[in-house]
Amino acid sequence: MHPADEILVARYVEAADQTAFRTLLERHQERVFGYLRGMVRDRDVANDLFQETFLRVIRALNEERGSYTRQDKFLAWVLRIARNAALDHLRARKKWQDIAPEDDGDESVWWDRLPDDAPSALDIIRGKDDVDLLRACIDRLSPEQREVVLLRHESDLTFREIADLTGCSINTALGRMRYALINLRRMMEDVRQSEFLPVTN
Amino acid sequence: MTYGKKEILLQLYGEAADTEKLRSLLRDEELRQEHAVLSETKFRLDLLEKERPDTAIVDAIVAAAASNGGTPHAKRLDRPARARSPRRRTVLISALSIAAVVLVGTGIGLDWFGGSSGLSASQQSPAMASHEDDLVPPESLHQLVPTQQLHSLASRTDPRLAWDDASPILDMHRRIQTMRPASPLDWGEAAVPLESLPGSGPGRLQMTGSSRQ
Repeated sequence: MHPADEILVARYVEAADQTAFRTLLERHQERVFGYLRGMVRDRDVANDLFQETFLRVIRALNEERGSYTRQDKFLAWVLRIARNAALDHLRARKKWQDIAPEDDGDESVWWDRLPDDAPSALDIIRGKDDVDLLRACIDRLSPEQREVVLLRHESDLTFREIADLTGCSINTALGRMRYALINLRRMMEDVRQSEFLPVTN
Repeated sequence: MTYGKKEILLQLYGEAADTEKLRSLLRDEELRQEHAVLSETKFRLDLLEKERPDTAIVDAIVAAAASNGGTPHAKRLDRPARARSPRRRTVLISALSIAAVVLVGTGIGLDWFGGSSGLSASQQSPAMASHEDDLVPPESLHQLVPTQQLHSLASRTDPRLAWDDASPILDMHRRIQTMRPASPLDWGEAAVPLESLPGSGPGRLQMTGSSRQ
């Protein structure tokens, strides 16, 4: 029987139990890292952001104890910090420089204005196998669709939790997931078909 | 999104309230196709391996949690620097080259126009400077030439200012001014015979060489 997140958090905060913290970290590392890796599409940057996220978690648990209210949602709380770190990183990379202040409330507009640095179709074709192909197709999804896929498949959040985290309705989260699945299937089919096309020059 | 499609998605991910509802939904041909498409892609996504962060990163975080209760003394683990991609390097070199060309061009331009503005030439040739003073309004001169240079330039071209600088002459001029009210004569008037001056009557003033009687 594994202790719940809340018990481990209490052990770390109240008794400085480092083992409890390591257990928490190792329990959720894939969920947090998978999300960050998919968001920034760079393993090294994802490592940096993962470290930044958990340093913020440590700081919050030790110095700002009120910021974590223990509602049995430790992972969702950590992912919110990770998401903020990822957005900070994207802003620092000047990807948000053309966002007008009045657009702040409309998240889809933010995403839509990001320059697309996803791999091209040719890059996808060069992928080694279906796993690489699928990952490349995920990278080519629109950012809001990609985020829902990552939060659902990498972080194991429910659609309700995804809606809470991203600030949209559950219907919007479901709609993004549906279009993401349809687009992924279409992209993979397109790539496979293009592999058999004769080379024209 | 219709209720049926939303329900299909929730059923697919195990979040539907009524799990028995799927069978009735799949009786609809359109929803059955929808379910097939979505479930195929979901199956592929489920097969993706989970990625983990580097072990060194995890160890650094645990060490930060152990030291001083975490932060602010916790240090980030720096990863080794990465080589920049050739494309980024090319863009950076191009940008730096353009900036250097612009800076050099600006410097040459300033030097060119500054050299032909007449400042150094006017200092070498006062006559030319005086003509320029006639043509250039003083405001623009102040904008172009620093104040000290302007004063030195003016002292070369304006004789009155040069006279003012000669302190012995100025001193003599002041003395003359103080002597002036004592004499009814103005400087520069024609010479007047001594006898015609008031108070030069008999017994007061005598012509030089005249004998007393």
